[in-house]
Amino acid sequence: MLAEDCVLWGFAALFILVPLASFLVYGFFFVVDNSVVYRPTLANFVEILSNDSYRTTFFKTLRMALEVSAINLVLGYATAYFIWLRPPAWRNFLVIALAVPLLMSYIIKIYAMRGVLGTNGLLNSVLLALGIVDEPVSALLFNLTAVRITLSVVLLPFMVLPIYISLERIPNSVLNAAADLGAGELQTFARVVLPLSLPGGIVGAMFTFVLASGDFLAPELVGGIEGFTYGRLIFSQFGLAFNWPLGAALSILLMIVALAVIYIARRLGNPRWQR
Amino acid sequence: MANHETGGLAANQDLPLLRIRGLGVRFGTFNAINPLDLDVRDGEFLTILGPSGSGKTTLLRAIAGFQAPSEGGIEFDGRDIADMPINRRPFNTVFQDYALFPHMTVRENVSFGLRVRGTGRKRLNDRVDSALGIVGLEELGARYPSQLSGGQQQRTALARAMICEPRLILLDEPLAALDAALRRQMQNFLKSVQRQSGITFLFVTHDQSEATTMSDRICVMRSGSIEQIGTPRDLYYRPKSKFVASFFGASNIIEPCEVIDARNDVTSVRTAVGTFAVAGPAPEGGSGLALAVRPEAFGIGNGKPVNQVELTVVSVSFIGSETITELRHRDASLEFKMKTRSDPAASPPAPGSVLTVGFDPAECALVSGDRG
Repeated sequence: MLAEDCVLWGFAALFILVPLASFLVYGFFFVVDNSVVYRPTLANFVEILSNDSYRTTFFKTLRMALEVSAINLVLGYATAYFIWLRPPAWRNFLVIALAVPLLMSYIIKIYAMRGVLGTNGLLNSVLLALGIVDEPVSALLFNLTAVRITLSVVLLPFMVLPIYISLERIPNSVLNAAADLGAGELQTFARVVLPLSLPGGIVGAMFTFVLASGDFLAPELVGGIEGFTYGRLIFSQFGLAFNWPLGAALSILLMIVALAVIYIARRLGNPRWQR
Repeated sequence: MANHETGGLAANQDLPLLRIRGLGVRFGTFNAINPLDLDVRDGEFLTILGPSGSGKTTLLRAIAGFQAPSEGGIEFDGRDIADMPINRRPFNTVFQDYALFPHMTVRENVSFGLRVRGTGRKRLNDRVDSALGIVGLEELGARYPSQLSGGQQQRTALARAMICEPRLILLDEPLAALDAALRRQMQNFLKSVQRQSGITFLFVTHDQSEATTMSDRICVMRSGSIEQIGTPRDLYYRPKSKFVASFFGASNIIEPCEVIDARNDVTSVRTAVGTFAVAGPAPEGGSGLALAVRPEAFGIGNGKPVNQVELTVVSVSFIGSETITELRHRDASLEFKMKTRSDPAASPPAPGSVLTVGFDPAECALVSGDRG
């Protein structure tokens, strides 16, 4: 057991922690004349926290991620609940159908969403056909709303699966017991099903938030100028400005937020009655 | 209640609390329950006893409403409830796995039935306090189910089922998950709660001794049908079939046997190992019969019982207060088991020796052989 543990931790350290640390350590260096000076400093962090445009992008992105999580919590819960109510044979099929997009290339999914949201896209066709709009709406693409919609759709499986799993774990006899004691369907849902499956929702919201707040591709491809997010900011430091130390410092801040969210979700998603 | 207040009408007082008529449950082509009738009397402790696959749990689930019957009717207190939704049925269930709500404390679990009915706080707290008092969990109200022992979870489930003061509680093998010592303790506890509350208990188990200790009446089920209903004494001393006889421990079955004489409430039967007298009248349709004798009915030689048979000792096992002797008849290859009080003075018979074994006509029963 001990030997296995050592091997496991050794691998984790060698392939995850060491590369990560050797990258993050750049956040404490700085750049002079396009070359990195390997002397420790907190200048990058001072720069980020005192610069208005960095701060604005940071909070705009966190807010957008929060919104995506909230939308997905509602959509994802409804989807998971719908699947859960199907007969068992259907359930497995639907869960697999939901998980298939997870195996597909991320960039293809985003291009697909671009096709849906575009001026001649599926969404506009539907809106036109239903008579909701008279001419195609161009406001569906290349803004922050497009990023919200795209991320909501692409990240939905991360919300649905944990909620579905926690619904699946509710024993049938517990639902029978609620009915047996006089609870109607609505009361059973509100008093038993919802509280027992909410930990799954919290885990899903955590996934969605962390993935949305750090995402770079979706804002880059559907976000336009308005959709300039923190992920794009980090990318620009590495890919455009060649300021690795600033990029690493920006990444460290995002990582702190992500770790904090994971910690909170662990506390909320593991209520007292489960321990 | 109304029946008792109006007094005079004896017929009304005999009306069963739960009346099942022609109830059947089919899964595809498989008959889980063949159409059957069953009456549960007000205030009794009735146990449905049977091996797994006998349909006992399906029957209970049909009564509770978790399983839609394929045919037949269920009446509760004179009202047809066969199509009534689960949450409207006027009785409650204790589940095999307790089915406590894991996210609620003991108090919240117990008060659930009152809360869904919108009972006021004062009344609710009084009722919960009294229910927790009955099951002895006053101190543990703030615990979550995961913090309770099996027995405590069991008590919580019982309090939860009792909180709405139902006239009938259904119990689905509630003791199956407990260890032997705790189970015995809970048997006594359940029985005393039932007696004191006067609530009718319909209890399902596969454990014959559990059914015998707790019940006023036992309904033995086998392959989806009722084999026999009666008091524990009835089933123990007067089983009607080979199945019930061996279920209740009358493991010595002598068959075939043929009625040769019946008078004065004593029936004489002829078997391959001799002719015996059996107390009671011969069963109707007297073919395909078997003679069932309890291991403890056998005695060695003395006392001159009416029925005697010579048997060879195969083995002797001493199990403390009792000694079990395995015996074989010399001609017919019939094996017998005899359970006697261990005697510190006498040495046990040696294997191979021949004993004259006797049993009383009142301690054996004529039963029907296997169906079909």
